[in-house]
Amino acid sequence: MAVKALGIVTSGNRIKVEGMQAFRPVSAFTFVGRYRMIDFPLSNLSNSNIERIQVFAGANPRSLAEHVGTGRHYGINSKRGKIQLLFSPESEVNEIYNTDVASFLYNEDVIERVNADYVILVPSYMVFAQNYDELLDAHVASGADITLLYHKVTNADVAYMNCEYLKLDDEKTVLGIETNIGGKANKNIFMNSYVMKKELFLDLIKQAKKKSSMYNLFNIVNDKAVSEDLTIKAVQHEGYFEAITDFKSYFRANLELTDYATASSLFTEKWPIYTRTNDACPTQYLPGASVKKSLISNGSLIAGTVENCIIGRGVVIEEGAVVKNSVICSEVTIAKDTVIENQVVDKYARILHAKEIIADPENPGYIKRLDTL
Amino acid sequence: MQNSMLAMILAGGRGSRLKDLTNKVAKPAVSYGGKYRIVDFPLSNCANSGIDVVGVLTQYESVELNSYVAAAGNWGLDSRDSGVFVLPPREKADAGLDVYRGTADAISQNIDFIDKYDPEYLLVLSGDHIYKMNYDKMLDYHKEKGADVTIAVREVPWKEAPRFGIMNTDADLNIIEFQEKPKEPKSNLASMGIYIFSWKKLRAILVADMVNPNSSHDFGNDVIPTYLNNGDKLVAWKFKGYWKDVGTIDSLWEANMDLLDKKNELDLGDSSWKIYTDDAPALPQYIGPDASVENAYITQGVVVDGEVKNSVLFTNAAVAAGAKVIDSVLMPGAVVKAGATVVRALVADGVEISEGAAVGNADSEEITLVAKNV
Repeated sequence: MAVKALGIVTSGNRIKVEGMQAFRPVSAFTFVGRYRMIDFPLSNLSNSNIERIQVFAGANPRSLAEHVGTGRHYGINSKRGKIQLLFSPESEVNEIYNTDVASFLYNEDVIERVNADYVILVPSYMVFAQNYDELLDAHVASGADITLLYHKVTNADVAYMNCEYLKLDDEKTVLGIETNIGGKANKNIFMNSYVMKKELFLDLIKQAKKKSSMYNLFNIVNDKAVSEDLTIKAVQHEGYFEAITDFKSYFRANLELTDYATASSLFTEKWPIYTRTNDACPTQYLPGASVKKSLISNGSLIAGTVENCIIGRGVVIEEGAVVKNSVICSEVTIAKDTVIENQVVDKYARILHAKEIIADPENPGYIKRLDTL
Repeated sequence: MQNSMLAMILAGGRGSRLKDLTNKVAKPAVSYGGKYRIVDFPLSNCANSGIDVVGVLTQYESVELNSYVAAAGNWGLDSRDSGVFVLPPREKADAGLDVYRGTADAISQNIDFIDKYDPEYLLVLSGDHIYKMNYDKMLDYHKEKGADVTIAVREVPWKEAPRFGIMNTDADLNIIEFQEKPKEPKSNLASMGIYIFSWKKLRAILVADMVNPNSSHDFGNDVIPTYLNNGDKLVAWKFKGYWKDVGTIDSLWEANMDLLDKKNELDLGDSSWKIYTDDAPALPQYIGPDASVENAYITQGVVVDGEVKNSVLFTNAAVAAGAKVIDSVLMPGAVVKAGATVVRALVADGVEISEGAAVGNADSEEITLVAKNV
């Protein structure tokens, strides 16, 4: 059956987040406690009525595969819709050859077989809400060959490193796509979201491969913009936007959501973000607990002090423990009278004997999955 | 079926002692414990006990309950050959019956449904109690005793026994007499309204009961006495653990407050016996910069900017800055606005307490039910 658009969630092959990424791809990172990064693109697609979806898995995909499952929790129709996980061969000797184009080509027949007019490519390392159905309509109405989504930022000199940005004219025609390595603060950060005809997409990845084994999709699209072979238009995104490109941005993006106004701009009633439920019970706050400016997931037990934190599912914070400015992942235990500041504590870690783990907010610390300290 | 036992949940009661809470929903659909509904307990118990097919007998105000339990995937009752089936009274060409005339009649009218699965055993439950129970263990006992009927019982304090249906047994727990609310009880073993029947025998008794003009078609009044008169083997199975009938506003409030005790017997955090429910796509709970939260049980979607103490807050409830919620239960979507005070109260689903308003009374013995915006 023909569908209008195939959604393709890319894996962020050029993203490196120290520590956490050793255990799972960025798309499977936990975000704001109960979510994983993949929930944002998949909810966006589902809410946009795009139900034919392919997800590029990235390295160590076990937790991603488990989390996505059949996709029922995203409200994807179990008969007409489908979520496919696609895998790529392990990276070549040199990881610069590990491009998104290589993984697209490796799965070319699977993409080709989907009977869809358009493809919508979306990233899994960026967090935002976007109606892709509207973007597709805008694309069709504009008559452009390719439409790209971008977000205007004012801190590209210090953030969004290694993201791409768009050079635009007054008509929002894309003149070029370049990689951000700092410099100017005001930039149109490319949200790695593309809309184009499926035929054009398949053609472009073949051209990219021919041109260079190091080419990613944006490189060939940039060539087409510069040569003016294709009409490439840009649409500006409004609202919450963050890119997880390294450990610091992961830490910062989580903690900025402890501001309720910021969180409300991402999580709205009319645009729900879905996730796989763990059926954890509510969270228990014991006498003596003190919690401020924090987002707390279910199944936790809090007897200590928590300030400016993201707390995952099933976390135990014992009495006298003080946890500030930290991201605590699921099933972590922080023992009595322990002080934790500016840390990301990964899943199942137990802080039992260390009395104090404090880092500078500019250089947050990381405590490994399953570690006992 | 994993254990040749099919479960039927009696969910037809109105629960009128829950007053305005059950105006729009049947009692089994009433919310409990932050994120659950009462019927989640029997349904999850069934799923965790290896029961694959569950019939839910609904009658009163069943639209919301019907759509709720129809999502069988919520309880993992969606694998091959399993399912949750909502069974409201059906008009039958031959019988002309359009209501369930009693608890037993609800089963009788669905004999065709049960026969389709050809079970060896039938588990009959009520849909309005809070407890965790492994029905498979009860079935083992039923088989071991070679019983025709096994009835779950729990010991109640002797002075409370006159409020319950009491089972008088011999030393081997064979039931010799059943007394409904006896003035002078001979035993303190109260029936929990949970029965395992060997289906063939029950089927024959129900077929006869359906056309008996003197029967009230009730398990306690008619079916169990018939078994006793026949000299069949009825045994009591003793249950130990948390069990609560949340039939009144006070007992519903109390059952919620029980969760505040870290060592509470219900232990909803036990991952070996999870209670499943419909998941709300809501943000984790948000505790604001000036909030104070102590001794509380809170679920996702809740936003607290004020003070919360000794309270249970359900999905998407909100407590604004300067508001106080003490010794209270806020049902899903209940909103307490700035400066308002809620004390010893149960605020119903979606109700708003306006700025500066005060509801409830710290000295009142009864719990205040707030079912309309104040």
